[in-house]
Amino acid sequence: MFLALREIRFSKTRYVLIVTIMLLVSFLVLFVTGLANGLGNATSSAVRNMPADHFIVQKDSDDRFARSALHGEQVKEAQNAVGQESAEPLGVQMTTVTRKDSDSKIDIALFGVQADGWLVPQTVEGQGLNQTAKGTVLADRHLAESGVAIGDTIVDSATGLEWTVGGFTENQSYSHMPAVWMNDADWAAYRSEIMAARGGEADTAYNAIALRVSGSQAEELRASVTDADVITKSQAISAIPGHKAEQSSLMMMIAFLYVISAFVLAVFFYVITIQKTGQFGILKAIGAKTRYLAGSVVAQVLVLSVGSLAVGVGLVLVMKAMLPAAMPFALDGGTILLSCSLFLAVALIGGLASVVKVAKTDALDAIGRAGA
Amino acid sequence: MNTKLNIVPFSGAEDIKLHLEGVSHAYGDGESELTVLEDLSCSVKSGELVAVVGPSGSGKSTFLSIAGALLTPSRGEVHIGGRSLSGMNERQLADLRLHEIGFIFQGANLLPYLKVEEQLRFVAKLGRADKEQAARRAAELLERLGLTARRKHYPDKLSGGERQRVAVARALMNDPSVILADEPTASLDADRGRDVTKLLAERIKAEGKAGVIVTHDERILPYCDRVLRLESGRLREG
Repeated sequence: MFLALREIRFSKTRYVLIVTIMLLVSFLVLFVTGLANGLGNATSSAVRNMPADHFIVQKDSDDRFARSALHGEQVKEAQNAVGQESAEPLGVQMTTVTRKDSDSKIDIALFGVQADGWLVPQTVEGQGLNQTAKGTVLADRHLAESGVAIGDTIVDSATGLEWTVGGFTENQSYSHMPAVWMNDADWAAYRSEIMAARGGEADTAYNAIALRVSGSQAEELRASVTDADVITKSQAISAIPGHKAEQSSLMMMIAFLYVISAFVLAVFFYVITIQKTGQFGILKAIGAKTRYLAGSVVAQVLVLSVGSLAVGVGLVLVMKAMLPAAMPFALDGGTILLSCSLFLAVALIGGLASVVKVAKTDALDAIGRAGA
Repeated sequence: MNTKLNIVPFSGAEDIKLHLEGVSHAYGDGESELTVLEDLSCSVKSGELVAVVGPSGSGKSTFLSIAGALLTPSRGEVHIGGRSLSGMNERQLADLRLHEIGFIFQGANLLPYLKVEEQLRFVAKLGRADKEQAARRAAELLERLGLTARRKHYPDKLSGGERQRVAVARALMNDPSVILADEPTASLDADRGRDVTKLLAERIKAEGKAGVIVTHDERILPYCDRVLRLESGRLREG
């Protein structure tokens, strides 16, 4: 530390420049991470926040709820296999609604569930789902941004059915649409309207069955269910339209940012270390050990990275506070901590080339040299 | 205060700080072997400043590297501060250099980002010396070498002579047995060169060190107790 800090103090400009670059990179890493999380939530939070671990979907539906159709028989079959409590039917349908007496259309994702089951999300305002309250739904709070308040009636464009928003829940989005939860009676009514409009297909009561089972139970079920497949929650999430495409491109950006920061640091410290080879020779000649000198390089890397990370996190938090609420951005303490530790690890890897160079410097270089 | 500091006189042949016995060194191997030093022996006593002179290529740098525990000779024994160097590993040699040898290089070779005072505190820190004792030692050395007013300056604000005086102070800081100087006056004019050598000779006598200056600057020889001439790998008194 003695040398590390004094050198930074002496060559301020040089180190301010590298801190600025690292600060910008770390800010970008955190910002894109927040964006990736936010977008991930917007596409999948309704499924991600379900207490289920596996889902049953129709065979050849590509794991997509919207493409999957399961009938009542299959629900019963699954409930018999793993128990009534561990399997709940789930209806998912994307549709367009309007607020009554208004023309502006709102895209929503309808979720049909058992009103007294464990799939129903927590109500944060108003009243929750109720088995007997016909036509009353629980909506994600984002619906309020489209001007829908508790007590308002929404009208489905396709079927003309009307539902009253009884309460709000939070963090329930599906494919960038607010989720609207209804009890299974309303869901059945909605399905039969849809089926009538399409012209009498077979009874396709639900899209999926949510499971709370162990891995081995899931395996058994996979073998026993007819014309259906058991998938994990993460499979279901990555099959949500748009989710995988968004996440993989953002993840690629984040990965590249880490690689870039490692290289920027590696080049910076390597060039500085080469400039100082003479000094290191002198220091070794007067008795400094390689470990001390390498430690000094590592200490510099750490001081600079921690400094730029601290400022970067500060900037991101300020930015987060200033972002409009509609912007999908989510960054919690755990994610910040994880990103920062990853950044530090990458920075240390970047400093490795310099440490090797220091170790290779020979104390003999000090003799017969005019300058350091 | 360190008691070794006040030793002024030396008590004859027993007080040998640096001793080389039958040292030979050759570079390369087999047919292309190049012998640089051949069967070289010498001793430097406490409080004695010895100049080693010789034309370029005579092996001065190799001599200094071997005496400074930077290079292990092909044959022969080196004793520094009464300890034999043979069988020591890298770490032990580095420790020995830190505590028993003070180097003064051609250019002052100070760290550009440390203030004068910190140059001294740094070597004390490397040697894990007590902080307060180190501060007192540094203050005393800077006083003796006329650098007290300059203690808060960076090396680039000092003159060449001042820089070389800081290097002398740094070499003395850890109270070593042996001071080795590699052409310390090469980058100084005649007057500054003489001043620095005079100061160095003074400190070596006052603190009872064994000093060796490798040089080709004949003007500083009057300040040395003995002059050894190194010619084609052999040392002779002259």
